[in-house]
Amino acid sequence: MQEFMLFIKTKGDHLESLSPEQQQAHIQKVGVYIGGLIQAGKLKGAQPLEMEGAVLHGNKGVFKDGPFNESKEVIVGYFHLVADSLEEAVEIAKANPIFEDMDASMEIRPIKQVEGIN
Amino acid sequence: MNIKEEINRLFKEEYGKLISVLTKTFGASNIELAEDVVQEAMLEALKQWEEKGLPDNPVGWIYKVAKNKALNVVNREKHKRNYQSEIANHLQSQWTAAPMLDHIFSDKEIADDQLRMMFTCCHPKVSLDSQVALTLKTLCGFSIPEISKAFLTTEENIRKRLIRARKNIRDAEIPFEVPQGKALDKRLTAVLESLYLLFNEGYYPSKGNDIIRYELCEESIRLAEIIAASEVITKKSNVYALLALMVLNVSRFKSRLGPHDTIIDLENQARANWDQKLIQKGIVYLELATEQGEVSIYHILATISAHYCTAPDFDSIQWLDILNLYNHLMEIDNSPIIQLNRAIILAKVEDATFALQALDQIEDKSQLQSYLPYFTTRAELHFQNNELELAINVLKEALKITKRENIKHLINSKIDLYSENN
Repeated sequence: MQEFMLFIKTKGDHLESLSPEQQQAHIQKVGVYIGGLIQAGKLKGAQPLEMEGAVLHGNKGVFKDGPFNESKEVIVGYFHLVADSLEEAVEIAKANPIFEDMDASMEIRPIKQVEGIN
Repeated sequence: MNIKEEINRLFKEEYGKLISVLTKTFGASNIELAEDVVQEAMLEALKQWEEKGLPDNPVGWIYKVAKNKALNVVNREKHKRNYQSEIANHLQSQWTAAPMLDHIFSDKEIADDQLRMMFTCCHPKVSLDSQVALTLKTLCGFSIPEISKAFLTTEENIRKRLIRARKNIRDAEIPFEVPQGKALDKRLTAVLESLYLLFNEGYYPSKGNDIIRYELCEESIRLAEIIAASEVITKKSNVYALLALMVLNVSRFKSRLGPHDTIIDLENQARANWDQKLIQKGIVYLELATEQGEVSIYHILATISAHYCTAPDFDSIQWLDILNLYNHLMEIDNSPIIQLNRAIILAKVEDATFALQALDQIEDKSQLQSYLPYFTTRAELHFQNNELELAINVLKEALKITKRENIKHLINSKIDLYSENN
């Protein structure tokens, strides 16, 4: 068993491209999908993120703000999964109803495990 | 049934389930919070329903209120409290809150949680009388006054026991789970012991009123049936044996009750009033109990009870078989009360003199000195032997250990009876 972070990215607010009815249907589908993951014991956590925020660049104590552009591709939320392998995590990601209803991308990365202290 | 009774019945049925689910949600160290939330949800339901009548799906209605309250609690106090549960984390996310609530309120999860709750309440770190009080309060939805009536003690006393139990669970950081592997056997034994105690509180006389006592018996059977239905517990021989014992005994409950809280003995019970359905059920449990080849005191006591229940009449009871079962029982548990019960059988198989000798041989009689059946049995045996004076003396001793007027009255009438024969 290994843990994975899935970062979901869409262009702008991912729900905005949908009508209120479509939004409702989408949320329902996501609920069923997440319910299945909970039941299977695969989900450690999943949270959506607010659309506003900040981007910060820093180098040796010198910071530069932004640009934060919420109409460009932004992280809209994350899933924290437990899976047997990267392949399984990818399959779980592909089953996310977000891909049925809109253009989205996901980054799936294993969480580094502690292997003693140097 | 009027609306108030309907609501009461519903609350009692759902209370333990809701407490169990919410204790899992908030963590075992927050049992009191779960109790508060369920209490609030039920008060809200009561207020609404008394005004507007019962909704179409009252159980669903209460669950919805409880879900919303749980969600509020977890999100309102999320920075103040440590819930120690992954569920609480999920309830703090817009994406996972609703699916998680649906998941934890599913029938299967609710049944599993009641099982976990039993193991939490009956943890060895909690004293036996607190275990029973907490089980009654959380899993059976008994109020503090009801529990205090069942135990013939003050409400204050029960309140203290409950506070102690919750504190023990918090301090020992008892997890909300069914233990696994080797620990399971030991912990299951403790849970069954607590359920058996609960049952006996209901089954034996001079405690509380009949309705509450019968409910205690029903509740201990209901909880044992949850264990019997569980998939995680595989060795169920003792569970089935305890169930057989309880069900067979309860089949005679109503025909045992005489006037003034007295117990009618087996010989004089109206067999027609025994509940044949329960007897059948008890026999099925007993068969299941013997499949795994184990023998516990529950197995033997249930077999004895089955003898009584299935004999066509009092005269056809196989006393010798029962005596052998008692001999077997004494190898596992030779407590004074079991020796006393064995002596009663010995009187049937041999005679009263033999039985009195057996009673004299009990080494530690301290437990019996406050146990009324010890005195009434001795008196009866002396009476059978025509030793009326001895019988009367024993009954006079018995008068000293009870404060209850109706019991004293019964003893006195027996003394009068013996005196007339003298």
